[in-house]
Amino acid sequence: MGEYRLLLKHVDVPNYHDIQVYEQHGGYQALRKALQMERQAIIEEVKKSGLRGRGGAGFPAWIKWNGLPKDDDKPHYVICNSDEGEPGTFKDFELMFKAPHQLVEGMIIAGYAVRAQRGYIYIRGEYVECARRLRDAIDQAYAAGYLGTNILGSGFDYDLYIHMGAGSYECGEESALMSSLMGERGQPRLKFPHAPLPTIAGVWNSPTLINNCESLSCVPHIINNGGEWYAQLGASTKNSRGTKIFSVSGHVNKPGNYEIEFGTPLMELIEMAGGVRGGALKGVIPGGSSMPILTAEKCADAIIGYEELMEKGSMVGCGGCMVLNEHTCIVHFAWRTAEFYAHESCGKCTPCREGTRWMVQILERILQGKGRMEDIDLLLEICDQIDGRSFCALGDAAAWPVRAFIKNFRHEFEYFIQHGRSMYADNPESQQMFPPKGYQRYNPMRYEYTVGAVRK
Amino acid sequence: MQEPIIRITERPKPPQPETLTLRFSERAVKELDALLTHYPDKKSAMLPALWIAQREYGGHLTADAIAEVAYRLQRSYAEVEGVATFYTMYNKTPVGKYMLEVCTNLSCMLCGGYRILEYLQQKLGIRLGETTPDGLFTLTEVECLNNCGDAPVMQVGDIYCRRLTPEKIDALLEQLRQSEEHTVVQLADAEVQLHLSAQERERIQQSLSQS
Repeated sequence: MGEYRLLLKHVDVPNYHDIQVYEQHGGYQALRKALQMERQAIIEEVKKSGLRGRGGAGFPAWIKWNGLPKDDDKPHYVICNSDEGEPGTFKDFELMFKAPHQLVEGMIIAGYAVRAQRGYIYIRGEYVECARRLRDAIDQAYAAGYLGTNILGSGFDYDLYIHMGAGSYECGEESALMSSLMGERGQPRLKFPHAPLPTIAGVWNSPTLINNCESLSCVPHIINNGGEWYAQLGASTKNSRGTKIFSVSGHVNKPGNYEIEFGTPLMELIEMAGGVRGGALKGVIPGGSSMPILTAEKCADAIIGYEELMEKGSMVGCGGCMVLNEHTCIVHFAWRTAEFYAHESCGKCTPCREGTRWMVQILERILQGKGRMEDIDLLLEICDQIDGRSFCALGDAAAWPVRAFIKNFRHEFEYFIQHGRSMYADNPESQQMFPPKGYQRYNPMRYEYTVGAVRK
Repeated sequence: MQEPIIRITERPKPPQPETLTLRFSERAVKELDALLTHYPDKKSAMLPALWIAQREYGGHLTADAIAEVAYRLQRSYAEVEGVATFYTMYNKTPVGKYMLEVCTNLSCMLCGGYRILEYLQQKLGIRLGETTPDGLFTLTEVECLNNCGDAPVMQVGDIYCRRLTPEKIDALLEQLRQSEEHTVVQLADAEVQLHLSAQERERIQQSLSQS
């Protein structure tokens, strides 16, 4: 099927981040069109398009849009989640760096549709380069009258702000992001059905629409071409519509962002990225580090789509496709994954805070050659104890990959425990990925004030 | 594990309000005022206010810096400290002029991020989390910087260094030794400026030049 560029269509045009070039390529036409439409009609278009959230959960976007009260006098907010932190993903970076006006336009249309007065773009603190582009884009949009008071004579007032994060993976979770926006620790809040949805009581207790950067970037295209047109893309899949950007990285020849229509075979995506580098394929993590790994056999006939990948035992996630070649040591890879989640666990709930740390300790024990055979089942048990019992999805995200690594590559763990060393210890191709000798992880941030918690 | 991985340090004592000397510059106060208009309440400006503090206090948040933010936002010291210690980009200990933050997460690991770390350790003669004796370089390891397509990646101040090789690192270190900038302060300043619109920045500039 090949690449299908919709969001990334013009990113290679020089100066596409400039408002004039963007307008020459049909920019802000969707906004003009939307401002002539009824608010409910916009939501209907989004419904027809079948757009599902691109941040990972795949929740139908229109339900959020439709969920905001239509006749209250509370302030409404729109938040763009650009706190891209999932290892393996870099789509939002490219979208904001190369097509910032597309996102700004999507934000304004979303704001108009849900009667919002203010929009916030939450960007992770590290992304200074692309935030600068976005800053300029917003300033240009203000100057051109697309933002501010009485936008294009429609009587609609809307302000857009940038809010920079400060280094926390957890803030990509929507309720944690809202906490962070309110100046608190980025910890998740109680969710539906125990608490009202963000669309009723979100940030500052007001109705809030919160969408991923990629979802909002789709909106101008849906308005321009109509929801039905958008829904034709990916029609071969069960319930995935439109295009999705996959960030392909790892052992491939041409890593980068590739936008494809849903329904494309997974192997075709890897071919687009130049094929596997340095050996045969071992496995693919299709949707970012929190998704379970697919072995080479399962990849062979995997189709990209929310339900289609679920049947294979993995998920689309946010599209961070990591490709592993045959020389990858899965035990080290699993340890590094677990280490990431232990570091990023916010500490709010016990299963995640303690469980992720235990998994790291057990995996470290295995790496040091002191592993026991029962450790493998112990790891699986901890995964079961975390999965579904944590406050937010970070716990699940920590458990799924480790469980999948063990289920699919149990022999590697067994070999490691029996021999006290990796199957690939002598393989020159694998040396790249091993931590240096005497490596000690140092984390000055989280433990500086923890008295009495010395880990031996 | 030979050594404890967790360093135990005494928790900084919050300074008494009567001994606190406010150190925010005129510019910083104006920036904070502009930021406060972005949010419905004062507390929400906490993250940008901490960025300002990190800049004003020379690259890391001391107890005084936290106390000043608490004072200016009318929150308690404990609350601001709680927020500051949650986010990894706020430095709680003194750091060098150039902070080298190497990504060793999955994609970088596959593409040799640990080799980059090893090379930097040898080259600078320091371990993770340490600063060189001349106070120039601090070496840390960070979680995914999300430029996995250009792995291995390192963040130095407000820029990313992509597709690192030993040669590139040599050139970069040489370039940094020649430069005068304090990348940690620069990064904090960049974060503050990103919050402010062109109009607001202009207004701040004007009011500063008038006074």
